Amino acid sequence: MASAFLLDMSRCIGCEACVVACKAGNELPQGRQYIELIEQTSGTFPNLTGGFQNHRCYHCADATCVAVCPTGALFKEDGLTRLDRDACSGCGYCVQSCPYGVPKMSDGRSSKCDACASNVGGGGSPWCVTTCPGKALEYGDRDEILAEANSRVAALKDRYPKAQVYGETQAGGLGLILVLPDDPETLNIPADPPPTPDVANLWKNWVQPISMGSTAVTVVGLGVLGVMARKNHLAEMREIEENHKTTVSTGSAEGGHDDA
Amino acid sequence: MARVDLEITRRQFFGAGLAGAAAIGTGRGPLAMHYPDPPWFATGEVTTTYNYCDMCPWKCGIAVQSVDGKVIKVDGNANDPKSRGMLCGRGQAGVSFMYDPDRLQSPMIRTGERGEGKFREVSWEEALDYTAEKILAIKEKYGPESLAIFGHTTGDFWFTDYFAQAWGTPNAAKPSSSLCLSPRDEACSLTLGFPVGGHEPMDWDEIECVAFIGSHVGEDSRNTVMQDFVEARNRGAQIIVVDPRFSTAAAKADHWLPIKPGTDTALLLAWVNVLIEENLYDAAYIDEWASGFDELASHVKDFTPEWAASITELSADQIRATARVMGERHPKAAIMPGRHTTWYGNDSQRMRAVFLVNSLLGAYGRHGGMYFNKSPFLDSYPHPPFAVTGSSGGCSAEPGEEVSDELPLGPSGKARADGARETFLRGATAMQELIDPMITDDPYRIAGLMIYGVNLLNSVPMPSRTIEALKKLDFILAVDVLPQEHVAWADVVFPEATFLERYDELSTVPYKTPFIQMREPAVAPLYDTMPGWMMARELGLRVGLDAFFKWETIEEYLDTRLRSVGSSLEKMHDAGGVIIQEGKPYLEDFGDESPFLTASGKIELSVADLAEAGLDPIPVYEPTEEPPAGYYRLLYGRVPVHTFAKTQNTPVLSDVYQENELWINEDEASALGYGNGDRVWLENEAGDRTGPIKVKATQRIRKDAVFMAHGFGQQSEGLTNANGKGASDTKMMSRYKLDPISGGAGMRINFVRLVGGG
Repeated sequence: MASAFLLDMSRCIGCEACVVACKAGNELPQGRQYIELIEQTSGTFPNLTGGFQNHRCYHCADATCVAVCPTGALFKEDGLTRLDRDACSGCGYCVQSCPYGVPKMSDGRSSKCDACASNVGGGGSPWCVTTCPGKALEYGDRDEILAEANSRVAALKDRYPKAQVYGETQAGGLGLILVLPDDPETLNIPADPPPTPDVANLWKNWVQPISMGSTAVTVVGLGVLGVMARKNHLAEMREIEENHKTTVSTGSAEGGHDDA
Repeated sequence: MARVDLEITRRQFFGAGLAGAAAIGTGRGPLAMHYPDPPWFATGEVTTTYNYCDMCPWKCGIAVQSVDGKVIKVDGNANDPKSRGMLCGRGQAGVSFMYDPDRLQSPMIRTGERGEGKFREVSWEEALDYTAEKILAIKEKYGPESLAIFGHTTGDFWFTDYFAQAWGTPNAAKPSSSLCLSPRDEACSLTLGFPVGGHEPMDWDEIECVAFIGSHVGEDSRNTVMQDFVEARNRGAQIIVVDPRFSTAAAKADHWLPIKPGTDTALLLAWVNVLIEENLYDAAYIDEWASGFDELASHVKDFTPEWAASITELSADQIRATARVMGERHPKAAIMPGRHTTWYGNDSQRMRAVFLVNSLLGAYGRHGGMYFNKSPFLDSYPHPPFAVTGSSGGCSAEPGEEVSDELPLGPSGKARADGARETFLRGATAMQELIDPMITDDPYRIAGLMIYGVNLLNSVPMPSRTIEALKKLDFILAVDVLPQEHVAWADVVFPEATFLERYDELSTVPYKTPFIQMREPAVAPLYDTMPGWMMARELGLRVGLDAFFKWETIEEYLDTRLRSVGSSLEKMHDAGGVIIQEGKPYLEDFGDESPFLTASGKIELSVADLAEAGLDPIPVYEPTEEPPAGYYRLLYGRVPVHTFAKTQNTPVLSDVYQENELWINEDEASALGYGNGDRVWLENEAGDRTGPIKVKATQRIRKDAVFMAHGFGQQSEGLTNANGKGASDTKMMSRYKLDPISGGAGMRINFVRLVGGG
C-alpha cells in the first residue's frame, strides 16, 4: 500500500499553519523549514491573479534523491520518500538533483519532509495535515487520495475551468497529489519535472546493490563511484541544478557541500 | 549554490562509502531503525491539558500534550467549537513562546532612570509590598481614580476588569476597544441594540455571499474564520473583497474592488442605493423589523454607483454588479463586520453603513445571514459590590451590555478621564485619550499606571507623547511575559507565567452555540514567574480588598463558578475542556419578543440619538485627507504567523517571518529607484523615521498607499529576535483622528515617504 498527501490549492489560504506545525512539531533548527509558502502573482494592477506555491517534498515514486543517495539515507517506504538523517553522509547529491529543489542541507546533512515518519508511526497524521484550517491537506491511501483529488477537480470546474490533478504521473507518480485551480506553471510548479538521469539510476540499481553486498565489492564500488563523481555525475548534476534553478525558487540561504 | 570542488567531493565520497560499508548486513528494518530517537509520545507518560490559546485574541480551544513536565505539542481541541481540532501557525508556536529564553524571569524593581531598563531582581514579597505601597500613596493623595490600568490579551480580566472595579478606578482601558473594535461595536449597538460581540456571527454554514471590507482572511490567521471561509467558498458562496491591496482573500475572491483608501462609505452608500433602487432588499423584513426606511431611501437617492465611482476609483458597473450579487442572494448574504475598524476617524459612520447594508439584506437572525450570538450562562464568583462599574470593553466584552447615559463615578466622585460624552459620544474607555491627562492633569491627575500585556509603545499612536506621559507618572507597573519596549519604563516588573503554565478565568464565548472554555496549567510556571490572577489577588490582599479575593485557591474560584452550570474543573476536563450550551441564533427562536435591543425594539436605520448629539443620523461620505505629493498613505495589517510584538520574538515564528516588508506598487518603487529587497527608511510628515525595512515591490497594491505588518520595529535589547527588526507602523503615527461616536483612534491618516537606500 502506498500513502500520499492531498494538497488542495483551491482550499489553501496561505496561513502557514502547516509551515509552523511542521517546524515546531519536527523541532527543525533555526533557518530550516520543510514547507514554504511562496506568493505567486501574474498580471498588473488591477488585473491580477495569484496564489501560493505551497512548496514541499513531492515524494516522487521515481525519486531522483533516492537514486543518487550513496548511503541509502534516502529511501522509499510506503510510497513516501523517507530520510534517515543518521545515515546521511552530507554529500548533497540530493540537494543538487531534486527536480523540485526540495532537500536542503541542515547541520551538514540532508533535510526534508519525511511525512512525520515518527508521528505517523504512532498512529497519527503528519502535523501539517492535522492542523490545516482550510482542510487543504489530507493524508491516506494513495488510491483513495487520487480518487478524492479527481472528484474535487470535477467539482471545481465551474469556478476554475483549468482545474486539474497534479502528481498522478509526474516522476513516476507523486506521493503529494495536488488539486490545482490552474496550470501548474501559474504556481511555479514544473508541468513535467526532468526525469531521473540514467547515470543516477545506474548507480542506484547496479553499483549500489553490488557494493552493499560485501566489503570487497564496496571498495570496487568506491572506485566506480570515484570515476563517476569526477567525470559524469557532477556534470549531470550541475545541468539539473541549472535547470531547476530557473523553474523553482529555493528560499533557503543554506548552501550544500561546504559545511559537510 | 557553491561550486563543487573535487577535493570536497572526494572526501564526501569516502565518507559515503564508509557509511555504506557500516550498513552492511543490517538491511532495512522497521521505522524505528531509521529513527533511532523514539518519538516523543513514547518517551514517557503523555498528559493532556485543556486551554485556550493566547497567541492572539481569538482564543481557540487547545489540547496541550506534555511528557515528564515538558510541554511538547499544542493542537486544536477537537471538542472546541472555535478550533475544531485545528490551529493556526501562531497557535502551533505556543510551545516555542513558552520556552522563549528571553522571557522575564524574576520580579524586578527599577534602579536606573526610567527608560534605561536598569533593574534589580527582588522577591515577590518585596515587589508586591512595594507596589501596594505606591498605589496606596496615589489613592491617598489623588483618589483611586488616579490609577489607570491598561490590559491586553487573556488574563487582562484580573487587572482591567476585576482589580480595577474593586479598587475603584474607571480609567481601565484596553487597546482592543478604542484602537480596534470600538467603532464596529458602537455602530452595531446604535443600529441593532447590541455590539457585534467578539466573533462576527456570520451564519457560515448556509451563507451564499460574503463581502469583506479591509478584512484579511488568511493573512489574519483567524482559525475559525479561515475554516468557515474555505468551506463556504468551496460550497460556492460568492466572495466580494474590497481592499486597496490584492490580499490573499482578494486572490480568492469572485469580485475584487481595489478601492481608494478612505472612500468605503461612498461605496457602501452606493450599495444601499442599488439595493433600494433595484428593489433587491428584503422589503418584508424591513417592514417588520426596521424603522427609518423612508429617510434612508431619500438619503441615498443621489448616491448612485456613478457618484461613488468617481470617489472610490472603482467602476460604476462593478459597484452595481456586486450590489446585485448580494441583493440576489438575500438574506443569505452579508458584509463581514471585521475587527480592526479604527481607520479614518469617521469609522462608526462607516460601520453604520455596513450594518445598513446587512439590514437591507435581511441578514440578521436569518439562516445563511447573520445569527444572533448569545453568551453562555455562568455565575460570577460572589463578591461585594464593586467600587465603580468599569467600561474597558474589548474582546472580552459581552453582547447586550447596557450603555447608560450617566458615566459611572469612582469613590471620590470622578468619572473616566478620557473625555467620554464630551469629545466622543459613547462606548468603552478610550485608551489613547488617557495619555493626555497623564501629561496635563486635565480633567484630573492620573498618577499611576499598571500595564498588563499591552505593548504600549508599539500600539498607541503618538508614541513620543506616550513617553512624555511615562516620564510624568508617579508609579508604573509592567506585567508581562517578555521585556517589551515599554517594560524599560516601569518602576516594578511582574513577570507572568504564560497561558500554558497557569489556571485562569474561564472564557465565556458568545456564539451560535454559546460555550465555556477552561485554562489549566500543562506544567508549573517556569522561573520565578506568577499567574496574573495570583498577582491581582496578592496585590488586592495588600491594599485592603480582601473581601474581593475570598477564595483561597484558583481551583476553588473556578469550581464555584462552574457549579452554577453543574460542572467542576474535574468534570470539565473529563468532558474535553469545553461546556457547550444552547443558543438562540435565529428570529424564530425569539417568539414574540424582539431580538433587537434598541429603544424602539427595531433596527434603527436612522438613529435619533445621533441627530440629538448633532451627528448624522444616517451616514454621509466625508472625504479623508489625501497624502501630499511624494507621500503614501500608511496601511498596516497582519502576516499569518504574527499577531503582536510577543509573537515576533517567539523563536519558531521569528524564524519563519523575522521582519516586516513594505508593500509598494512596483511601478512606484521603480520610479523611485527601489527594487525588491532594498532597505529603506520611512519618514512621516512630522519627520519621525523608522526602519530600515525591506521593499516588497509588487503589483498587488495601489499606487497611493503602502502596507506593512503591524508591530515590528521594536526597540528592546531584551527581545533577541525582534529587536530592531523591520519598521514600526506605530512610530509613524504622529497623529490620529478621534471618532466622535466611539472614541476610536483613526490611524490610517498618517503618510510616509521612502528615504535612503536604493
